[in-house]
Amino acid sequence: MTGPLVEFDGVDKSFGDTQVLYDVDVDVDEGEVVVVIGPSGSGKSTLLRCANRLEEIQGGDIRLDGQSVIETDVNEIRQQIGMVFQSFNLFPHKTALENVALAPEKVKGEPEEEAKRAASDLLDRVGLADQAESYPGALSGGQQQRVAIARALAMEPRVMLFDEVTSALDPELVGEVLDVIEGLAADGMTMVLVTHEMGFAREVGDRIVLMADGRVVERTETRSFFDGPSTERGQQFLSRLL
Amino acid sequence: MRDRLVKRVGEVAAGGFVLAIGGLLAWILSTQVDYSLLASPLIARRFAEAFFLVIQIVVISSLLSVSLGVLVGLGRISTSNVTGRIAKGYVEFFRGTPLLFQLFVIYFGVPRLWATGEFPFTDWAIPAAIIGLTLNHGAYVGEAIRGGIDAVPNGQMEAARSLGMSRVMALRQVVLPQAWRNALAAIGNDQIILVKDTSLLTVIAVPEIMSVFRNINSNQLDPWTPLVWVCVLYLAITMSMSQLVNGLERRSDWGSDSRMFGRLSGLGSGDDDGGEEA
Repeated sequence: MTGPLVEFDGVDKSFGDTQVLYDVDVDVDEGEVVVVIGPSGSGKSTLLRCANRLEEIQGGDIRLDGQSVIETDVNEIRQQIGMVFQSFNLFPHKTALENVALAPEKVKGEPEEEAKRAASDLLDRVGLADQAESYPGALSGGQQQRVAIARALAMEPRVMLFDEVTSALDPELVGEVLDVIEGLAADGMTMVLVTHEMGFAREVGDRIVLMADGRVVERTETRSFFDGPSTERGQQFLSRLL
Repeated sequence: MRDRLVKRVGEVAAGGFVLAIGGLLAWILSTQVDYSLLASPLIARRFAEAFFLVIQIVVISSLLSVSLGVLVGLGRISTSNVTGRIAKGYVEFFRGTPLLFQLFVIYFGVPRLWATGEFPFTDWAIPAAIIGLTLNHGAYVGEAIRGGIDAVPNGQMEAARSLGMSRVMALRQVVLPQAWRNALAAIGNDQIILVKDTSLLTVIAVPEIMSVFRNINSNQLDPWTPLVWVCVLYLAITMSMSQLVNGLERRSDWGSDSRMFGRLSGLGSGDDDGGEEA
């Protein structure tokens, strides 16, 4: 493969009359971790949601491995793009194991036993082998989010999207979730993360994309961003955080 | 201190109410009821026949109205404008006109659409009753299901779709099981009303419980004796029905929300006599 794995190409997005993304270009190479940061309302989450078409875009294109996401069957494309949400969204009527095994079984048609075995391995990978039979209501927020990550991984996606996955967690539970994401990064998973955890962004991100008011204002290597953003907007944003 | 006073006043009022009603009931039961008539095999047999007929009508109409209600609820949330409007119109009509009117339309009106002697049913009363109860309660169950679906957070649908499930699959696997749980109490409520609505069937010549009462009352000129039967029989059905609903609710409690509700109600009971357990 020559080009980037994920390509946002001149993406415009509006909700009714309100435009929220203006001509956004972002490339994500295979195995790369891109961290999208920026103030609230800058369009970071919307950008992620456009990638697997939870939101439809009005202009531009988004490509996965050169293939337009917009022109591909939506259920097809979503199997290749895993997504983890701020509010976990685990299925409360299913156990942790069933949450992870459900989509492989129903969408890919894997035999139940096989799906469950794979699910059990994934729960082990996120450190929750002992909670397989627990319902989400009996798990802590951090545990629920780790199950949600396992659930997304179960479809063997080519890229994972993380939408502020630690924002709804108690501070002492953030670490366990970030550890899992770091593990994925170490395994070479391609990821796009929207986060407010700057320390984590610095640690795990290969590149930083700074967004403000629906536009990309800075796009740079993680180290050079934290050493000193090249744009004034970037400097402003960082100075408010540090 | 004030909370305690209000609580005490409530207890006194409730106790007084129970004493008054209990006294009245005891007086009626001791002076108005003819116990030899009450226990006579003739009356017992007629009420038993009516009772089993009502149970059959209830079971069939219940199953049909809940199935219909699921379809109506799904129609209400359909992405198709046409389906959505038809479901809405159906609900408006059957919720907005009296059941008695609907029963009259079906029992008296429908057979007249055939030429004299051509209508295929010789005993139309019971089929008409089942159709009427099903259509009427299908509308209420449909609204309960729609409410149950609306109460499932949007993130559930999004999470399911983001895994590659189609909308139909996401509804079936993820949204509906939760919607069903949300709607159970309301559906159970409606089905208990369905049981009581069978009393209207007396006016379309279904030999159900109230018609046995009317018959005995006019022959014996004794309302209270058959009324005791009527009361006991209806309560027998409705109380077993609430047991059934409770059982179903317990079964679909995923060991999660009970804890959450426990915690929430714990917050609410900051009450000075400390009697409640968290």
